[in-house]
Amino acid sequence: MKKSSIFGLVVIAIAIAVIISVYSNTSTYGSFGDATKTSSELHIVGHLNKSKELFYDATKDANYFSFYAKDNNGEERKVILKGPKPEDFERSEQLVLTGKMVGSEFHASSILMKCPSKYTQDKLETKEVKAKSASI
Amino acid sequence: MDIQFKGEHLLPGQIGQFFIVLSFGAALLSFISYYFATTDDVGKQNSLWQKLGRAGFLVNLASIIGIGVCLFTLIYKHYFEYHYAWAYTSRSLSIYYILSAFWNGQEGGFLLWLFWQAVLGTFLIFRSKSWERPVMTVVAMSQVVLAAMVLGVEVFGQRIGSSPFLLLRQSMEAPIFSNPNYLEFIKDGQGMVPSLQNYWMIIHPPTLFLGFASMVVPFAYAVAGLWQKKYKEWVAPAIPYALFACMILGTGVVMGSFWAYESLNFGGFWAWDPVENASIFPWIVLVAGLHVLIVFKNTGHSYFTATFLVLLSNVLTWYSSFLNRSGILGDTSVHSFTDLGMFWQLVISIFIFLGITIWLLVSRWKELPITKKDEDTYSREFWMFVGAVFMGLSCFHLLVVTSVPVWNAIFHTKMAPPSDIIKHYNVIQSSFVFVIVLVTGFSQFLKYKKTDVTKFFVITGSYLLIAAALTALIAYTSGVYKLNFVFVLAMWGSVYSVLVNGKVLADAFKGKFKLAGSAVAHIGFGLLMIGALISAGTSKVISINNTGEAYNAEFAKEENPRENVTVYRNQPTKLGDYTVTYIGDSISSPNHWFKINYKKIDANGKITEEFTLKPKVQVSKGTMSASPDTRHYLFSDIYTHITLTNAITPTEAGTESAEAAHDADNDDKNYDAPVSHEVKTGDTIRYRDGYIVLTGLNKEAKVQNIPLSDSDVAIGAHLEIVSNSNKYSATPVYMIKNGNVFDFARKVDDAGLKLRFSKVIPEHKTVEIVVYQQPESKKKFVVMKAIQFPFINFFWAGTIIMVIGFFMSILRRKRELKTV
Repeated sequence: MKKSSIFGLVVIAIAIAVIISVYSNTSTYGSFGDATKTSSELHIVGHLNKSKELFYDATKDANYFSFYAKDNNGEERKVILKGPKPEDFERSEQLVLTGKMVGSEFHASSILMKCPSKYTQDKLETKEVKAKSASI
Repeated sequence: MDIQFKGEHLLPGQIGQFFIVLSFGAALLSFISYYFATTDDVGKQNSLWQKLGRAGFLVNLASIIGIGVCLFTLIYKHYFEYHYAWAYTSRSLSIYYILSAFWNGQEGGFLLWLFWQAVLGTFLIFRSKSWERPVMTVVAMSQVVLAAMVLGVEVFGQRIGSSPFLLLRQSMEAPIFSNPNYLEFIKDGQGMVPSLQNYWMIIHPPTLFLGFASMVVPFAYAVAGLWQKKYKEWVAPAIPYALFACMILGTGVVMGSFWAYESLNFGGFWAWDPVENASIFPWIVLVAGLHVLIVFKNTGHSYFTATFLVLLSNVLTWYSSFLNRSGILGDTSVHSFTDLGMFWQLVISIFIFLGITIWLLVSRWKELPITKKDEDTYSREFWMFVGAVFMGLSCFHLLVVTSVPVWNAIFHTKMAPPSDIIKHYNVIQSSFVFVIVLVTGFSQFLKYKKTDVTKFFVITGSYLLIAAALTALIAYTSGVYKLNFVFVLAMWGSVYSVLVNGKVLADAFKGKFKLAGSAVAHIGFGLLMIGALISAGTSKVISINNTGEAYNAEFAKEENPRENVTVYRNQPTKLGDYTVTYIGDSISSPNHWFKINYKKIDANGKITEEFTLKPKVQVSKGTMSASPDTRHYLFSDIYTHITLTNAITPTEAGTESAEAAHDADNDDKNYDAPVSHEVKTGDTIRYRDGYIVLTGLNKEAKVQNIPLSDSDVAIGAHLEIVSNSNKYSATPVYMIKNGNVFDFARKVDDAGLKLRFSKVIPEHKTVEIVVYQQPESKKKFVVMKAIQFPFINFFWAGTIIMVIGFFMSILRRKRELKTV
C-alpha cells in the first residue's frame, strides 16, 4: 500500500471521528418536559412570562436572578440564572435557555435573548448571557 | 396621488443610487470584456476587449468612490430621511464615528469589500502583466456578484441587493409618512450602538474587509491557471498575494479579538462565537493552501491539494459572509446581524464560486500535473503537506459545528450546538494545534527532497526534550497543568516550535536569510498559542464573592463560584490580593465612568501597589451598556467590568442620582429611622460605618439667601465624620428666625449620611444631632466582575510577530519572482 493511501485513510478516520464527536456533543432543542427526563444540559426555546415576578436584588445576592419562562409547548417553569440580571431582560421577546432541571426549577447556564432592537424597531437583535465566565 | 414631501434631500441619494447601478454595470462590462479578451483575443497585443475591460474596471472603481462620497454626505449632513443615516447616526455622534457609521450597516460592509476589491483589481491591472486578462475576468466577476448585493433594484418583482440609499419612508411603513411634513418630526437619528463607538471600530472593519477582498486574488490566479491550462505557472505569482491575504485577514481577525477584549463584555478575547469562527475559516484554509503551494513549487508534488485549498478559501469567504448575513445563526450567535432578505442571493453567490471550483477541477482533472511518485517520508515537503492537511481538518471541525443551524435548515433536524461550546472547541482544536505546531517545528530540520535520518532524530529528540522541560516549568508555574492534558500537549508543541524556529532564525542571520520570514511567522504563531493557552486556560475570576453574607438559601446548597461582587461606594472590599473600593463616578453624557480603586497591601499594612480603573457604562435611549477597563502589566492583565449598578438608571442619564429627583420632604424615606444623639463639643457619635465627632459650634453660621436680623440666631455644628477610614466634614445649621425654629440638614452622600442639628439644650449645655443613615440597599453600589488574564501579552506579541513574518515572506517571494 502506498504511503499516501495510508495517510488518506488516517485523514478520513480523523474526519469521521470529528463528526462523531460533534454529533455526540451536540445537545438538542427541547421543552421543559424533556428537561425533566434527562440529566444532561439542553436548549429550550421559550419566552419570558412578563406577568410574574422577576427577582433580582444585588444587595442580597449579586449572582442570583430568577424569573418564570414558558416553553413553546406553553409549559411554565421557574428559571434561575447564576449571575446578574441581563440588561434589558424585560424587553426580551424570545429566550433560548441552556441548562438543566434541578428539582422543579430550571437552572440556566446561559441565556440567549432576542430583544426588539434598541435602534431600529424593524429589526431584531440577540444577546447572550452566561452564568460563568468563558474559560478553558 | 403622490404626496409632495417637504424638506427631503433627494439629490445625493439619487446620485448615489446612480453610482451603484453604474458600478454594477461597469463591473459587468469589465467582466464580459476581459472574458472575451482572454478567449477571443489570445495573443493579440492591442486587444480592444482588454481596453474595454480596463476602462470598465476603472469606471467601477470611480463609481464606488462616488457611492462613498454620496453616503458620506448623507451621514455627515444628518439627512435622516435616509434609512442608513437615521438608523446608524445621530446629531451628537462625534466626527470619528461618522466614519465608522459608514460600515455600521450591512450595506456598508459590502461597500467596503467592493472598494477594496476594486483597489486590488486596479493594482492587478498594472502589475499582473500576462496574467491580467484571465485574472481580471475573475476579479471583475467577483465584483459583479458583490455589486449586486447593494444594488437595491427590483427585477421581475424580486429585489436584488439592499441599497444604502433607501429612504426611511421606503424602508418602513408608518402613518407618519402620509404627512408631507414628516421630516419635521424626525429630529434625530437612532444613533450608534455604544459598543461600536470605539476606536477599534474605525480600523477593524476596513482591515477585515481588505482581508476578505484579497482572498479573491489567489483564487483568481488558480482559476486562471486551470482555465488557461498554465497549470504550474500560476503558483509563483499567486504566493505573494496569498501571503498578503493571510497577513491582512489574520490582522483583522485579531483586531476584532482585541476589540472584544478591550471594550466588549465577553470576558476574554475569543469566545468561539459563530461569527468569529466564520471569519477564520478562509484564513485557516488559505494558510494551509499557501504551505502546499510552496510544497508544489519546490517539488512538483501535491498539485491538486494546493489548488483545491486556494480555491476553497474564497468559497469559504462567501460561506462565512452567508453565515453572518443571512440571519441563519439567529439562535446561536451573540452578534446581531440580521437578514436583509438576501438569503437566496447569498446562497447563489456561494454556489457561483463553488461551481467554478468544481467545474474547473473536474473538467481539467485528467490534465492536472499530479505526480504518481510517493514523497519521501523524511522530506520537508511531505510534513508541510501533513501539517496543511491537519489545518484543513481543524477548519473542517469548526465548520461542521458552526454550521449546525445550516444542517438543521437543510435536513430539518433540531440539533443544538454542544452546550459547553467553548470547552468543546478548545479541547478538539488544541489537539489539532498540537500536531500543527509540532510539524512547524521538526519540519525545519528536514530538507526538501531528502534528509539524513539519524541526524534528524537526534536533533529533533533533543529539542523535544528541552521543550518538554520548559513546558513543565511553564505549565507548573502558570497552572495550565491542572487543565485538560491536551492543553499541556499543545503548549509543549508551541514551545518546541518557538525553540526550533528560533534556531532557524538565528541561522538565518548567519546567511540563510531566505528562511527568516517563515521562521518569524512560526515563532509568532507559537507565541500566540502559548499566550492563548495560558491566558484563556488560567484566567482567574478574582471577584469571587466569598463573604458569605449574601448567600441565599437556595444557592448555599450549590458551591458555585459567584463571580460578581457587590461593591458599595467608599466601602473597601477584598478581592483576591486586592482591596477594591468604588471611589466615585465621572460623567460625560452618555458615558458614566466608575472609578474603581485597587490596592495591594502587604503584611505590614503598606500599600505596595495602587491603581484606579474606570470601567464605563453608557446610557443611550433608555438602555445601559457596559465596557470594561483593564490594567495592563507585562505578565498579566486585570480586567474589570460593571455588570450592574444602582448609581444610574437608564431614564435618568446625567442626573447624579435618584435622590436628586426627590424633593426634600420625601427624602427621609431613603434613610433608616433617624437616631438622635445628645452631645457636647468633643463628643463622639458612633454609627454603623464609623463615627462622628462634634469638633465645635459656630455661632455665626450663615445660610445662603437667608438674611438674618439681630434677633435671629444661626448656629452651625462642625462635624467630622470618619467612615470606612475616609474623612468627611459637614456643618448642619440650627436657626431661630422671627421666633420660628428651622434646621438645615447636611448630606454626606459619599458616606450615605444625612445629619441634622435639631435642638439646643442650654440646661445640659448640649446639642442634639440627628443621624440619618442610608440602608445598604439605598447606598450606591456596583456589581462588578474582575478577571486576571496572565500572559495575555504573549498572544498580542505573537500576533504582531506573525504578521511581521508574513510581511518578510512577501518580500522574499516577490524578490524570487523578479529573479525568475
